[in-house]
Amino acid sequence: MDAIVTTGLTRRFGDFTAVEEVNLSVAPGQFYGFLGPNGAGKSTTIKMLTGLLAPTAGSMQILGLDLSTHLVEVKRQIGVVPEGMALFGRLTGSEFLNFAGRMYGLDRDTAAHRTAELLDFMELSAQPKTLVTDYSHGMQKKLAMAAAVIHGPKVLFLDEPFEGVDAVASGTLKAMLQRMIARGVTIFLTSHVLEIVERLCSHVGIINKGRLVAQGSLDELRSGVTAGSAIAHEGKMTLEEFFLQTVGGPRNATQELSWLG
Amino acid sequence: MARLAMISPSVSTGQLRAVVVLRLRLLVNSLRSVRHRLNLVSRALGALLVLGAGVGGGFALAMVAWEITKSGKLEWLAIIFWALFFFWQLFPIMASAFNENLDASGLLRFPLSYGTYFLVRLLYGALDIATALGLSWSLGILIGIISANVRLSLWAALSIALFTMFNVLLGRAIFVWIEHWLSTRRSREIMGVVFFLVVIGFQLVGPLLGRYGDHTSRLQVHVPAILLWVQQKLPPGLTSAALAGASQQRYAGAALSLMLVGAFSAAAFWLLHLRLRDQYRGENVSEGEKRRTRIATSAVNRGWGLPGIRGPLAAIYEKEIRYFSRSGPLLFTLIMPLVVVLVVWGGRRGILTHQAGFALPVGAAYCLLLLTNIVYNSFGADGGGIQFFLTSPVSFRKVAGAKNLAQLTVLTLDIFILWVGIRVVYQPPGFAVIALTFAWYLFAVPLNLAVGNLLSVYSPKRIDYATFGRQRPAESTIILSLLVQMGSIGVGALCIFISRLYSNLWIATLTLLGLAVPALAGYFILLSRLDRIVMQRREVLATELCKA
Repeated sequence: MDAIVTTGLTRRFGDFTAVEEVNLSVAPGQFYGFLGPNGAGKSTTIKMLTGLLAPTAGSMQILGLDLSTHLVEVKRQIGVVPEGMALFGRLTGSEFLNFAGRMYGLDRDTAAHRTAELLDFMELSAQPKTLVTDYSHGMQKKLAMAAAVIHGPKVLFLDEPFEGVDAVASGTLKAMLQRMIARGVTIFLTSHVLEIVERLCSHVGIINKGRLVAQGSLDELRSGVTAGSAIAHEGKMTLEEFFLQTVGGPRNATQELSWLG
Repeated sequence: MARLAMISPSVSTGQLRAVVVLRLRLLVNSLRSVRHRLNLVSRALGALLVLGAGVGGGFALAMVAWEITKSGKLEWLAIIFWALFFFWQLFPIMASAFNENLDASGLLRFPLSYGTYFLVRLLYGALDIATALGLSWSLGILIGIISANVRLSLWAALSIALFTMFNVLLGRAIFVWIEHWLSTRRSREIMGVVFFLVVIGFQLVGPLLGRYGDHTSRLQVHVPAILLWVQQKLPPGLTSAALAGASQQRYAGAALSLMLVGAFSAAAFWLLHLRLRDQYRGENVSEGEKRRTRIATSAVNRGWGLPGIRGPLAAIYEKEIRYFSRSGPLLFTLIMPLVVVLVVWGGRRGILTHQAGFALPVGAAYCLLLLTNIVYNSFGADGGGIQFFLTSPVSFRKVAGAKNLAQLTVLTLDIFILWVGIRVVYQPPGFAVIALTFAWYLFAVPLNLAVGNLLSVYSPKRIDYATFGRQRPAESTIILSLLVQMGSIGVGALCIFISRLYSNLWIATLTLLGLAVPALAGYFILLSRLDRIVMQRREVLATELCKA
């Protein structure tokens, strides 16, 4: 049984189709990178998978449970870091983590214990009384990640977790994710940073203009042998080369701006 | 030199034009959704109401001013100038739901001169309710004076223009200073202490008068004379003195009075400048701690253990109470009902003291009005946190229920402060009045909470609990909430009126208890259906509340 399965997943906003007939399949324990250019439909897909957005058509299953009928059961078993990070700015970091733990059904002692551990691991324990709103962007990302894992989810959805994060914070987040994978957690991650995806993920899906254009393991993608991809290449490519060939390179790189001379 | 350059007073018309165009563009773009079109309709309805109050009030004040001017006793104009002054300065603080403060941080990233920044801050919200009504009522007074005595036209125009300028500048200055004082915990605590000292001082007046009984009669003679002398030296009194002087052709005295009003305006301008200058220089009033101390594992708070409330419900309740306790503007609303009761009833020797029995229900109704911002837009302060609620396995029935419980706690605390105040200043409210107030609450609170929960989902708007003047909900919410609140207050007033006809207050109490049954049933029915409604509206909720 796959951890994440979507069949014909579609989302329209009026006349605009953001996601069209997407069929995903992510096996348990996989670190799945979901790539695509800006506006390709990555965030819309992850919002549908986490219950933030209703699909126009198609079905979604997480850990064998249909999202349309078992939304609450699914939510209990997943952790989410959405695009906006879903933080409560007027709480301190420790109050927020404690709150998150109790919202996922942990008792007060367990929530407090895990909060302390996570604050320490994420190096957020130096400012116990600082409100989340006064945290730096990187600290907020780490806190959002800590809140997503406090209840020990089986599937983790991360929307651009490394965006705007410095190298030090990024290292902490990567260490956390690697621990989760070692524990058998399935991770579904969207990112613009191909280098990070290439280093962390075992499997990748590429979405372009709302359609899933390639899906497979990293090795399959690098050798150009993937479902949905028609790229012929001799030898192995980097993920960036494969990505640019799949979605198309920049069209206006040579265009000049009149006012820049 | 660099600092002087930073606060250059030059004004760029191009930048001002850009700000105006930006506001218009935002308005036009917002009309793309039905909800925002509804908000515009609500705003138009609100504007019509304000127009009615402006024209009606202006006409009434014109009549009063005409009568006073005709009688030749222009010193009496001080009464309407004082009334206008109190309204202009107190309304924005007492009814923060109607005011919106500009988030200056967005402006400051542009190369804006200080002069332009000052002007934008001064003019933004120039047509808020207090200013719009203040301006139209001032115009009414001007027309009244000129109609009665054309010879005074120039003096009246000059006096009222100066008085208006003073009010606008002082109103803005008060707003930005309160915003500043309420922004940090330390200054909130100082303000709280000052307030309680004032209340205690107020209580000492009576005993002191009793202690020095021999002097009481002399004081009673002197106090009004002193008050009269003081009011003549303040802008409302000075404005009327200028007009009275001009009517009696004592032009030097009139000019001096006007110069003093000008000096008060300059002082208000300076107060406003002090604050805006610091904001312009990039002042940060966040509550970030200066001292860094590593948190010990054992020191992490276990969260509140509350009797009868467990799990997520207790967690949400704790989160809400923490939010309230860190909101200066909300803490301010805790004391406002008592202040209003003291102002309206006029203290121990006030004009309504013989009706002090009704101070509790009236104050209680005002408490409910004050909670508009949080009850009718209860997810507004969560901002991006709404995504957490939407992705968590907790039903929205529980989320809204816990929020309502926290709102009830604030309301109870509000009423308790009010009750203590009334008990100390006047007399303990009778059992019948307490029962009546309780019965009205049993009817009005579930009704307001039910509609509030619905509007919180249907018409959410991101607000900021921490900044004064940034708690205003969507326009459609304001109109609908006002209708519900006026309806519930009207029903209570009608019940009291009927029971007074029969000289039996218990008739009102029992009627309101009867009405409480359907109100409570409606609340619980709506709560049970909230999850389905939220699922249908989740995209609007997330989009609106996650806006930067």
